[in-house]
Amino acid sequence: MTATFIGVRHHSPACARLVAETIERLKPAYVLIEGPADVNDRLDELLLGHELPIAIFSYDGGADHFGTASWTPFCDYSPEWVALTTGRATGADVRFIDLPAWHPAFAGRSNRYADAELRYAEVTERLCREFAADNVDTLWDHLFEADPDDIADRLAQYFDLLRGSEAADEGDTAREEYMARWVRAAVHHAGDRPAVVVTGGFHMPALKAMTVTGDTDWPEIPRSSGASYLVPYSHQRLDAFTGYQSGMPSPEYYHQVWTDGLAKAADGLVESVVDRLRRRKQPVSTADLIAARTLSAGLARLRGHVHPARTDVLDGLVSALVSEDLTQPPPWTRRGPLLPGAHPALVEMVAALSGDRVGRLHPATPAPPLVSAVLQELQELRLDREGLVHLDLTDPAEMTRSRVLHRLRVLHIPGFVRQSGPSSGADPVLDERWQLTPCDERVGALIEAAAFGATLGEAAGGALQRRIPDASMPALAAILFDAALCGISTMSDEVTTTLARRVRGGSDVAALGAVLAGVLGLWRHDRVFGTARDPVLGTVIDVTVTRILWLVEGLHSGPAPADTERLRALVAVRDAVLHADSVLSVERGDVRGVARRIAGDPEAPPDLRGGALGLGWALGELPDVERAVRGMAAPDTLGDWLSGLFAVAREEVLTSGHVVGVLDELVHAMTEDEFLVALPALRLAFAYFPPLERETIAERVLAHRGAPGSARSLLRTTVDPLVVAEAMALDRRVDELLVREGLA
Amino acid sequence: MSDNTSLQRPPAEIRFADELKRLRADDSGPRPPGWAMSLQAARRFIVGDPARDISRKFVGDPSLVDRALVTLATSRGLMLVGEPGTAKSLLSELIAAAVSGESTLTIQGGAATTEDQIKYSWNYALLVAEGPSTRSLVPAPMLRGMAEGRIVRFEEITRCPLEVQDSLLSLLSERVVAIPELTGPDGMVFAKAGFNVIATANTRDRGVNEMSAALKRRFNFETVFPIPDFQTELSLVEQEAGKLLAQSGVGLPPRRDVLEVLVRTFRDLRDGNGSDRLSTVMSTAEAVSVAHAVGLRGWFLRGEEGTPADVVECLAGTAAKDNADDLARLRRYLEQHASRRKGEQWQALHQARHLLPG
Repeated sequence: MTATFIGVRHHSPACARLVAETIERLKPAYVLIEGPADVNDRLDELLLGHELPIAIFSYDGGADHFGTASWTPFCDYSPEWVALTTGRATGADVRFIDLPAWHPAFAGRSNRYADAELRYAEVTERLCREFAADNVDTLWDHLFEADPDDIADRLAQYFDLLRGSEAADEGDTAREEYMARWVRAAVHHAGDRPAVVVTGGFHMPALKAMTVTGDTDWPEIPRSSGASYLVPYSHQRLDAFTGYQSGMPSPEYYHQVWTDGLAKAADGLVESVVDRLRRRKQPVSTADLIAARTLSAGLARLRGHVHPARTDVLDGLVSALVSEDLTQPPPWTRRGPLLPGAHPALVEMVAALSGDRVGRLHPATPAPPLVSAVLQELQELRLDREGLVHLDLTDPAEMTRSRVLHRLRVLHIPGFVRQSGPSSGADPVLDERWQLTPCDERVGALIEAAAFGATLGEAAGGALQRRIPDASMPALAAILFDAALCGISTMSDEVTTTLARRVRGGSDVAALGAVLAGVLGLWRHDRVFGTARDPVLGTVIDVTVTRILWLVEGLHSGPAPADTERLRALVAVRDAVLHADSVLSVERGDVRGVARRIAGDPEAPPDLRGGALGLGWALGELPDVERAVRGMAAPDTLGDWLSGLFAVAREEVLTSGHVVGVLDELVHAMTEDEFLVALPALRLAFAYFPPLERETIAERVLAHRGAPGSARSLLRTTVDPLVVAEAMALDRRVDELLVREGLA
Repeated sequence: MSDNTSLQRPPAEIRFADELKRLRADDSGPRPPGWAMSLQAARRFIVGDPARDISRKFVGDPSLVDRALVTLATSRGLMLVGEPGTAKSLLSELIAAAVSGESTLTIQGGAATTEDQIKYSWNYALLVAEGPSTRSLVPAPMLRGMAEGRIVRFEEITRCPLEVQDSLLSLLSERVVAIPELTGPDGMVFAKAGFNVIATANTRDRGVNEMSAALKRRFNFETVFPIPDFQTELSLVEQEAGKLLAQSGVGLPPRRDVLEVLVRTFRDLRDGNGSDRLSTVMSTAEAVSVAHAVGLRGWFLRGEEGTPADVVECLAGTAAKDNADDLARLRRYLEQHASRRKGEQWQALHQARHLLPG
């Protein structure tokens, strides 16, 4: 006998129905399905009695990470699933015949059941034009789902046309050759009984041609260090694949089509959309519903459908419910996700199409060792319950608990949310609060996390590692800190080399400053995380200091408001030179030289000049501050310059005492207008001093003027500022009058 | 009909008279009451049918056309909204031509539109001489549309004063116009089957938000979007500009590579791809008119097809219509983006950047 080929579109209920009918009618010896051949010996696992949707999750544990992670999703109406269950029920020998997911043929593909023909767009575009359909999905609905009886011939024609002259790419060719070997072997071994082959329609024409002649031995199954496990899946995830990974959209709708038929599915869709909109307090009147119903029926007749198809219902709803202009075309007329700011009716329609059905695995389903290990660890550490957990990081036992929680966090396992705790290496917080909420999705997420490593530590390290190549400079610093929080020491080499490379090419002083402050904090203080004096961190500190110094010397601009982030970078440099001298390749004298040059550079922005002066001062230079202050005394630069100085050398300013007197003189000499210009920046500058130090400054001012009185009363006015302002206005009027009358 | 060739722009029913005739001849589908053809045939007329040699006249989503046609077959009016230049008026003209066989029952909305221009007015000489009668009545498009059972087009409805817009309310819900001056059966004109309204409104002028909820409820809204696909837009611009140039007596079709540069520039400036988005509307219709102007300049000034330098000169007039910032954005685009594109024409466009005024 020869094989009966059924080319299907993955996740199509019409195709699933055809598959079921064909297998029941032919009662074949073999049912061959496009699916990972390496799980053939574990097909029973699939049939334990799960609640669909579920997926086979495959990953490569090997060194070269060919296929990375990929999913083979099944839902109730998947033709592959129906082939598997019906095949078993009729007593056929069921086999998956495609290459394993980690095979190079699948490189870059995360959804095995994506629409292969999407990658060969030209034909589909032509067909859409011919049938005047918006896109492939509408075309498919029109040709098959809306009229699912006797589709076998139409399907074959459709896919013949699609494949037509298209040559498959290298990956698809390898897969087709492998599948053809299975088909030939099955046909040979079936004797005079039939064999049914269920594959993606795009492959079917090629498979047919390849199975005419060739060897008939069962092909060997490629093995590698990769592994496959079942995971619970959800309709939302099924719908979330985009671009070349995407398959049939709208899983909830097609689920209804599969269980209740077209007519009921259309009603259900309307009901679900209206229900969702009303829950969101969007008005939907009965008149609107009547209009929607009339329009859907009219559209179905115009397009020649017996029952309203998916887009008939949606088009009717959008016409009836939306009475203003849309900001984007309805998402079912284009492929791709909804953009932000979409009309609420569109949002709810898309949500109703996806649905929120979530799969559930049978308890006896085997899981990777990581899952049970983690669950056991959570139980031992009493982290498996619901509630708030407060951890003191200086206590070693609680530190262990914190590490486990952080490892779960970086793996994105749901239900572990940190509410407070240290946010960077420079953050002197030593306790954490976590909110724990146990949920069903944990197990699925853990199975998928197993792709990164066999133990929790390894997996968390792997997940962080994965983030490195695309990370920006601040993100790398965050990864470094995450690694410290997770207690992972093995990976920091790679992060730091990448970080050092990014730093050398970085041009944003503020971002570099944040990185330096964070890393310096880890290097100096983190005995808690065990990172203090880490030589690798030292390298990063060295590179960053050099880069910041190089960049700030080149910053030129006129007077501009003080840039707090930039000044923080200077503060970080100051701390690095003061406290991490041992790891720096640049000498303190050189840093002082750079500071001196910037401070004296008339082209540099005032805050930077002030900051540079402060840097030199803090590093032991004895600058002529008085002269510098007088040089910057213009009202539009003084405050910004002082911001720089105070940010970097607050303590020096306080101890010298000299500066305050000079400032008092300068400010006193300003006219009122000049003072008003200088005031905002001055306020900002003095904000660098805490209240106690401000009182010291006030004392200095009083002493400088030889005036008696309490410094504290200067800082705390008991009079309403409005009264003061009115009094000043009155004074001014009196002055004006005196001048006018020649009495002044 | 013999002097149709001298018309500047014949209406759709004359331009496509042959296609309409053929579609009506082999139309076997059920026709809604008062319609000149079935929904299927009307759809074919607009989205095209290569098998029957019917040209594609509207390049937007076919589903939009479906929804528009079905809406007209129900008791709600059709409101086409969208940015200026997205072929809303063309679509409404095509639909009216297909459904009623006539697209000229048109009200042009504007600040000065009055109820007279919508419903009816009087021939005052006759009115004074004979008193109110059907002879002295001058029907406006809405009255004619109702009496004859045809589609009435209302262009730019949101530019009318709100009270004028609201005069449509009773027309659309009661489907009757009362003429109190006439007595007897002439005093009430009931809408015949086939009557409906297609209104258009653009989102730039004064959006549809100010429309009264009561009137909104009597329309189904359809948003017409700019053409999403580059190749489609390019061929449309090429085809339309070619037609216009031929009509203007230009002997050469536009150069495709120059058009490519033109259309790509329009799309970039419309979406703000990699540069700022212009506040002026960079619609396909604008692109066609720029392409037309480029062709005219090239042919009548130098006897050739037109160069990127002409594009720059014409763009200045289009893009910087009422906004100095747009001119700056255009200059930035020509300086920074055009220079990075490969191809002779892009370089020529970049070289011609100094032709921008100011």
